[in-house]
Amino acid sequence: MDRSRRDFLRNIGRVTAGAPVALASGTVAAVAAGAPAPVHHWAMVVDVAKCIGCQACTVACIMENRVPENAFRTFVSTYEVAEGDVTRLAMLPRLCNHCDEPPCVPVCPVGATFKAPDGEVLVDGDACVGCGYCVQACPYDARFINAETRTADKCTFCAHRVEAGLLPACVETCVGGARIFGDLADPSSTVSKLLKERGGEAKVLKPEEKTRPNVFYLGLDERFAGRVDAVPTLWRPTEQRV
Amino acid sequence: MTTSVTELLYVARDPAWAPWAVQYFFLIGLSYGCFLLSVPGLAFRREGWRDLGRAALLGALICGLVAPVALLSDLNQPGRFANFYLRPNLGSWMARGAFFIPAYVGGLVLYGWAALAPDFRAAAGLGGPLAPVRRLLGGPDRPALVRGLGLFTLAAAVAVALYTGVEVMVVHSRPLWNTALLPAQFAATALMGALGLTLLIERFVLAHDVLVERRLARLLALVLVLVAAVGALWFALALFVPGSTEARALAQVAGSEVWRLNAIWLAAAVALPFVVAVVKPAGTGWLTGLLALNAAWMFRWTVFVGGQDIPKTGAGWYVHSLALGPEGLLGILGTAGLCLVVLVVLTTLVPWSGSATVRPSTLPAGA
Repeated sequence: MDRSRRDFLRNIGRVTAGAPVALASGTVAAVAAGAPAPVHHWAMVVDVAKCIGCQACTVACIMENRVPENAFRTFVSTYEVAEGDVTRLAMLPRLCNHCDEPPCVPVCPVGATFKAPDGEVLVDGDACVGCGYCVQACPYDARFINAETRTADKCTFCAHRVEAGLLPACVETCVGGARIFGDLADPSSTVSKLLKERGGEAKVLKPEEKTRPNVFYLGLDERFAGRVDAVPTLWRPTEQRV
Repeated sequence: MTTSVTELLYVARDPAWAPWAVQYFFLIGLSYGCFLLSVPGLAFRREGWRDLGRAALLGALICGLVAPVALLSDLNQPGRFANFYLRPNLGSWMARGAFFIPAYVGGLVLYGWAALAPDFRAAAGLGGPLAPVRRLLGGPDRPALVRGLGLFTLAAAVAVALYTGVEVMVVHSRPLWNTALLPAQFAATALMGALGLTLLIERFVLAHDVLVERRLARLLALVLVLVAAVGALWFALALFVPGSTEARALAQVAGSEVWRLNAIWLAAAVALPFVVAVVKPAGTGWLTGLLALNAAWMFRWTVFVGGQDIPKTGAGWYVHSLALGPEGLLGILGTAGLCLVVLVVLTTLVPWSGSATVRPSTLPAGA
């Protein structure tokens, strides 16, 4: 499967409607033959210079994952940066970082939050007791208690879509091609190449937390890597309904 | 060149730990604190500590029986509580706590029963509608059993005190919580609240005894010094050790008027009962008791609700108002009501000798 929406469209000739089925069948066949199942290491690279803050990703995620009101699995935090006479906008798409050392996993008292073999940090909604401990542990405020399911909720990298050979909804819909999704275990993937070519430029949020995120940012202003020191404006949709 | 950053768009997150969590940590703290106060008099038969121990035991039982209800209510899926035992992740302090709590509450109930068994037997002999139940619960005085159960419950209480503190302390993402001093702060304020509750029980529920009140006031003054000392150490680390978690926490809240008010309130809630307890230890137990309870609750409210109002990545603070429903005010009132019900049941069933009897003759002149 390939990476950004543009790459995806470019390769559409090869990725046919039957591809997900073929991928799934191939997996099943490989497992049946006793061969080890293919292991991926899913990751996302966000090129903040390409993000226009349209929130299409936010909406796509909500629609795809039926995210309830006042909750977000992903959104684009937006800042106005005034430096001297120059004022510009800065965008920062935020989502679960699917850390390799996820602090949300060890705290879960019932093991409902886990690191999947392909790298996603997922929640077993049938086991989750809704204690909220993982929400506290996440340094990125990427988790929340879903008011409808009463369990912990978060970005899954759209695991259900990825399993079917599709891109995560936010990547699929990204207008500027700012979100690039792919397999770090595949050296020829776009994310691997990007991180190889522009590795020095790639940053993660809150590196001091030592969580080893799998969401990388290109062109990230250091001031936005941690808790942002800014004049605040918090948005709660239902409070601004006309 | 002047630089300014304005956050145009960020989203508010609801606190994952509702006021029910505050109630749980408050009640379980009061319970293990009260239990500790009961040990010298009831488990070790220390001279002059018996009545204090009985008042403390009542407080420990009330709060110990209600606290797990508050904890279950804080779960968004309370019906799945069995998962704590069916599929525990013992690396998690919360999972460990799921085993410590029943051990503590179970031990506490058995310890209370063993300590009061002779009273049940004596009261059963007086007849009345509760005589059959009291006869069933009555028994001889068995000091070794009381001591043994007391020691078991003591171990469980220490485990509960440890887990409730460490469970919050290990949350690295919140500097306010991620301090090694937090377990000590929880334990010290729990003792403070427990002394406050025992003062109130001793004054209003069981037989009032000025000697007990004076002893409790002295203990409260000592514990308040301990609370202040741990608080001062936190501030010292925050001010003089740059880069420490305490310094990061202080930096997060320093600009907030609400936090400044909270700090002043807490300092006053510790200083005021200390002064009263030292200057006038007799006849003021109701006041120092209420103030100590208030300070213990406020500390937990500030840590939990205030702590969750600090965004981890966004600017400013989340602003939440206390909901009026079960997830907010009604929950707080509900736990208070449940405590009252348990108090009524325990004071009806259990023969706390001399209950509801104030002995003004024991008051010193002018007190």
